[in-house]
Amino acid sequence: MKSSDIMMIRAASDEVEINRNELAQRLGTARGYSSELIESCREKLMKVISYKCVYIRIPVQKPQENVCDFGFMRVGSRYLYNNLRDCDEAFAMALTSGIAVDRELAKLRVISQAEHFVTDALASAAIDSFADYAVSKMSNGLQCVPRFSPGYGDFSLEFQKPFLERLNGHGLLGITLSSAYLMTPVKSITAIMGIKK
Amino acid sequence: MKKITELIKEQRVYFDGGTGTLLQSMGLPAGQSPELWNITEPEKIISLHNMYFDAGAHIVKTNTFGVNREKFENYAELIRAGINCAKTAAKGRENAYVAYDMGPTGQLLEPLGQLRFEDAVSIFADNVKVAAESGADLILIETMNDSYETKAAVLAAKENSDLPVFVTNVFDASGKLMTGADPAAMTAMLEGLRVDAVGMNCSLGPDLMLEIMEQFAKYSSLPVIVNPNAGLPEVRDGETVYNIGAEEFSDYMVQLTQRGATILGGCCGTTPEFIAKTIEKTRDLPYRVPEKKNLTVVSSYTHAVFVDEDPVLIGERINPTGKPKLREALRSGDLNYILNEAIKQTDAGCHILDVNVGLPEINETEMMKKCVAAIQSVSDLPLQIDSTKPDTLEAAMRMYNGKPLVNSVNGTEESMKNVLPLVAKYGGGLIALTIDEKGIPETAKGRAEVAEMIIRRAAEYGIDKKEIIVDPLALTISSNPESAKVTLDAVRMIRKLGVKTSLGISNISFGLPQRELITSTFYANALQTGLNCAIMNPFSAAMMNVYYAYRALNMLDSGCTDYIGYASASADNSTKTNAPKTEENLHTSIVKGLKESAAQKTEELIKDTAPLDIINGHIIPALNEIGTAFEQKKAYLPQLLMSADAASAAFEVVKRNIPAEQSDKSKAIVLATVQGDIHDIGKNIVKVLMESYGFTVYDLGRDVPPEKIRDCALEHNCKLVGLSALMTTTVPAMAETIKLLNETDRSIRVIVGGAVLNQEYADMIGADHYGPDAMDSVRYAEAFYNA
Repeated sequence: MKSSDIMMIRAASDEVEINRNELAQRLGTARGYSSELIESCREKLMKVISYKCVYIRIPVQKPQENVCDFGFMRVGSRYLYNNLRDCDEAFAMALTSGIAVDRELAKLRVISQAEHFVTDALASAAIDSFADYAVSKMSNGLQCVPRFSPGYGDFSLEFQKPFLERLNGHGLLGITLSSAYLMTPVKSITAIMGIKK
Repeated sequence: MKKITELIKEQRVYFDGGTGTLLQSMGLPAGQSPELWNITEPEKIISLHNMYFDAGAHIVKTNTFGVNREKFENYAELIRAGINCAKTAAKGRENAYVAYDMGPTGQLLEPLGQLRFEDAVSIFADNVKVAAESGADLILIETMNDSYETKAAVLAAKENSDLPVFVTNVFDASGKLMTGADPAAMTAMLEGLRVDAVGMNCSLGPDLMLEIMEQFAKYSSLPVIVNPNAGLPEVRDGETVYNIGAEEFSDYMVQLTQRGATILGGCCGTTPEFIAKTIEKTRDLPYRVPEKKNLTVVSSYTHAVFVDEDPVLIGERINPTGKPKLREALRSGDLNYILNEAIKQTDAGCHILDVNVGLPEINETEMMKKCVAAIQSVSDLPLQIDSTKPDTLEAAMRMYNGKPLVNSVNGTEESMKNVLPLVAKYGGGLIALTIDEKGIPETAKGRAEVAEMIIRRAAEYGIDKKEIIVDPLALTISSNPESAKVTLDAVRMIRKLGVKTSLGISNISFGLPQRELITSTFYANALQTGLNCAIMNPFSAAMMNVYYAYRALNMLDSGCTDYIGYASASADNSTKTNAPKTEENLHTSIVKGLKESAAQKTEELIKDTAPLDIINGHIIPALNEIGTAFEQKKAYLPQLLMSADAASAAFEVVKRNIPAEQSDKSKAIVLATVQGDIHDIGKNIVKVLMESYGFTVYDLGRDVPPEKIRDCALEHNCKLVGLSALMTTTVPAMAETIKLLNETDRSIRVIVGGAVLNQEYADMIGADHYGPDAMDSVRYAEAFYNA
């Protein structure tokens, strides 16, 4: 029976290696720098993180210059248009590392700013690394352009709403939007990734 | 026709299945809300309901899942039309019921989200009013993936209709809701709120629900609903399909029935065929009425705590009686202190935390609400709501996420009249004190009699005695020599009444030296007598020793695993404290970021050094050293922050030793992440550095409206404000805040910072200073106050 076209990818916390460059950049340290603090935060974070990704594969139409039509939303954005220049198909994806990460951060905010800062950086690098992991699974050999998220350049954050509705981000991942279109769980990503012709 | 609440106690009852797929096959365009068809294509919706009734379903869900006032202006019309469609299909059929289907709002509630609890209740209430007027037979609250939103929906249903309420939640493969609750926690909360049936729907196929069903069977006294999907979606020949067909689905439904589910149906991907096959295969299986479980249980938003033979520890640290620091924190509204106590008690191994904020000079209800919300954002333990004021109890029980423990009712007419209705409405374990109009009976028998009377009165409110935990009141042996004996005799007698017991253990030694000796020995005696709960100090090693040893000795700790873990951790700690003192001093402790060492060294210094000399002679120079290293890129931000944490710990010690009237509030700053922005890393870094340099920081948090920032600056007469924003989209909110501050008081200075800002931007929005990093902000603030 034909049904929803939304696919899901999950990963256990140890299946995703946190990108070291990404982490170093967020921590403001040299690449490969580590410390007892960073490792103990990493260990605690890995216990609560829960990676999930949903995605769909959709046609991209370009009815006019600087406009992309994905069927469920029509986006006026020069950056996105350029990003998808060589594509007439794309993956639309939403990913999260789960609400338990928000809870861990809320707790650390009270007890230690150092741990809070480090864990926040780790969690940001982790969801980015999971995005790389998920992308390699879904693209499965297809040539893709770099992923592009609402909020980048002139791709307005307001598109988070139709995006998450189409992907059932609330039902499947528990993602909700604030009035300023920010996502909770905070370590969540939405993105379009064009498939090269 | 029978009432649905009667039918579910007599026989297996069947729900309908999925709608989305079927409506799409009838021509519903992808992406269009199916609910609109209630008005535009009612005959199609009616025919869908008819298909399910014809397949044998007793209950159809109205096509109203996503309707609420936030999403549809004409929500009332859509709900009315949806209910009419279902009623039309049900007309003339025997035992055919219409469930008004109410799904989640799609927003996340505070504290992690933005939607306020009472606003959620109000959104649902508007729906329920329409559904009740339109003649639905029951309310089905479904596909809820958050316990707090579920509670809001149930309260709305109960407060605005007399209809039966069924609730199904979405569990994932690990058996938890998206926000963490397991079946035991959901069952505890929902039974407390007196719904009529509980269960699960969507997300998983019936195969993956088998294990979760076992959990429900173990904990639920109510009929359990199971409405699974047709498996999980997968790609076959380029098409996405659900992977379980009607035949296989119904086989699993047989297994779910055998595990105790009594209300069966389907969710996404299921069709009338799935329901017909399920009915065919389960109809003749023996039906068992759900068995009543005699469990005394409270819950949080993640898990349940059972009060039984395994002793329960209730942390007593959040109670101002005899705790001057907590009193001061309550008076000044310092939630951070309270949250730290909550986290420390959680880490120390408590199962439940007592929360008492009663001080005559503060608004207890408001403070209780603030504390409950804040504590629930940092600790996942169930809370014991502790107040003598019924208003305070009610406010907290209502907004509590889970099923609380309520402390307390007593045997006076007034107390029972006030507290019992609250437990009947909101649910809760209930501590019952054996005291009545005549006071605390002197004998054990007298106390047991008061307990018996409370149990009887509670039953009149429909409160089962399994909800009651009697506290026969341990009084100090220093003035009541017989107290320990009488109390323990009372515990023994009260157990025979079939209720659980609790004691505030520490009272026993009041007024005596070396209290821990008496308290912990009494605790051991009480446990041996059968005491279930102790309100106690989890930081007392003597008490924890008794707890772990008792469990190991009484076969409550399989393989003595917990005991061994505890014993080796305590051994580690004692070696640490006995280890030769390191060469660290306060200065090096701060530079190296050693928080505990910094606090300890300060304690040593404070004995013979003036507080200000510690700050200016030790803390600030150490911070300057690491700060300079950071500025020269010889140290990284994590190191700087560890030093700041250590300096703050040292500062805390100093502050405690400065009499309140002498504390220096002249160096102060208001900090906030501006409205619309929830990124607070940068702001928090500034905060901890400011605090470590001795500034009083009024931290307003994230997403703060301009008016609130102005009001805070005015209230504290603070002339320095720091604003943070990470996103370009929230810089206008920053500009607006600066404008408002300028209009209010030209002498207020504003520092701005955040990833999107630079000097040019800062100038454009009228900021007085742009802080590229936290150290710079501190330097500016110091200069500002030194000028």
